[in-house]
Amino acid sequence: MRYITEVLASRELLANLTLREIRGQYKRTIFGQLWSLVNPLATMLVYTIVFAFILRVSPPPGNPSGLNIFAVWLLCGLLPWTFFATVVQQGMGSIIANAGLVQKVYFSRIVLPLSTVGSVGYNWLFEMGVLLVVLAVCGSFVWPWIPLVLVVMVLLAIFAAGLALMLSVANVHFRDTQYLVSILMQIWMYLTPIIYPISLVEQQSQAHGGLFGSSITLLDIYRLNPLERFVSVFRQLLYDNTWPNIQDLVLCAVWACASIVIGVGVFRRSEKGLAEAL
Amino acid sequence: MTDISVQVDHVSKRFRMYHERNQSLKSAIMRGRRSVHEDFWALKDVSFEVPTGSTFGLIGSNGSGKSTLLKCLAKIYYPEKGSISHRGRIAALLEVGSGFHPELSGRENVFLNGSILGMTKKEVTRKFDEIVEFSGVEQFIDQPVKNYSSGMYVRLGFAIAINVDPDVLVVDEVLSVGDAEFQEKCSQKFVDFKAAGKTVILVSHSMTAVQEMCDSAAWLSHGELVSVGAAEPTIRAYLESLNSPSA
Ligand SMILES: Nc1ncnc2c1ncn2[C@@H]1O[C@H](COP(=O)(O)OP(=O)(O)OP(=O)(O)O)[C@@H](O)[C@H]1O
Ligand SMILES: [Mg+2]
Repeated sequence: MRYITEVLASRELLANLTLREIRGQYKRTIFGQLWSLVNPLATMLVYTIVFAFILRVSPPPGNPSGLNIFAVWLLCGLLPWTFFATVVQQGMGSIIANAGLVQKVYFSRIVLPLSTVGSVGYNWLFEMGVLLVVLAVCGSFVWPWIPLVLVVMVLLAIFAAGLALMLSVANVHFRDTQYLVSILMQIWMYLTPIIYPISLVEQQSQAHGGLFGSSITLLDIYRLNPLERFVSVFRQLLYDNTWPNIQDLVLCAVWACASIVIGVGVFRRSEKGLAEAL
Repeated sequence: MTDISVQVDHVSKRFRMYHERNQSLKSAIMRGRRSVHEDFWALKDVSFEVPTGSTFGLIGSNGSGKSTLLKCLAKIYYPEKGSISHRGRIAALLEVGSGFHPELSGRENVFLNGSILGMTKKEVTRKFDEIVEFSGVEQFIDQPVKNYSSGMYVRLGFAIAINVDPDVLVVDEVLSVGDAEFQEKCSQKFVDFKAAGKTVILVSHSMTAVQEMCDSAAWLSHGELVSVGAAEPTIRAYLESLNSPSA
């Protein structure tokens, strides 16, 4: 409890550090914030060409929205994923990047990874805003779902924050962490139904049946991936315009809580040793 | 009068010296459960008290543990043994301007650095003019700080830190930066601090500065406290030990 009040007391610092990142990010660029859109757009273009035109991946049309545009379907999963991956990777390096501060000034160290969540989240909010406009233009009736989308966005941010906290500490002690994690994140992305629909996995799973004589299928294991749940909830809300599967939603919340509790716990235990370990 | 502001009680600080760089997974795995390090005690059983409203100097040769002690005071390091207690808010000036973002303007950086040092936005707004005036960079306050000269950079950082208004101010060798005029301004500020009943703990290699400003001093050598007491005899003893080459 004491720890929570201490963190709350540094919320102003958290806000200032977040602003520092946001303001410093696109200083001296002509297009400013627009650059934050270029990366997802370029990725979208590449994936659409490769997967929709060459490999002929065709996700089922949105039900009941009736939307059937690969690029939009892709973005509904790609934007949350990009946010998640960026928070984990930048948050992981946040302590080392601010080594000068950590060694010279006392403050609640947890604000460093958390401010990454804030600044990356700001860009994400902007991207999601643009996505909403695109969805509306394409004929998706997305407006009533916005509050729920925001809730799930917060859950994903919490989940990412927890991971970033754990990894930021690990990275101070073992600098290998960042290289290992960047490889793992690539694998993780392909293990999540972002550029292909989960129906393809379902087909494979059915073909194989229960694994090793049990009733556990490939799909069950595949769906242990927390990001799979998040991505499917985002798609249900944004692309299909329907209530998300309640089990998925609850699991998202459970994953988020577990991650932040472990993350804060780990961080708190090693916080005091950070300055000399750097 | 003899109120104790800071009490350092049998403080020992250990650093682990690893033979190889330990910060890779490979070495951790290769090592297995054996840990290949030596303990190095940078502070050994240091105890002293600093009365409220006094200026206290820490002297000693390079590597004697002065900065380590200040970092323990500032809660950046945590001592393995012993404890440190203090009254009121403590502010440490270990390095000025360490939280500056080069692309942001001086104004934005004042607010940022102020909040890193624990000031609220209201406090910074209230003291903003004073900070800018003290730093003497009015003309450039809306310029990005990467265009500042190194002296200006330090001045602005110092001006912010000194306006945190702590009960105990801990300073590590930052007096030596800036031009003569600014140094004069800083010493004046320390005098004001003392007059306001605040405690200052400072590290300096300039014995004249310590002599001038401090009431009492402590001499550290290889992590051990050699002597503590009134400034003048402590400094004399320290200088004598330097002149007479002993073991
Ligand atoms: N993070 C650290 N890890 C390992 N050893 C350290 C660390 N910080 C300091 N030391 C060691 O502790 C000893 C004391 O260092 P410290 O910086 O306190 O000296 P100092 O008295 O401030 O010297 P100077 O006058 O040069 O500033 C030195 O031998 C140094 O090598
Ligand atoms: Mg030093």
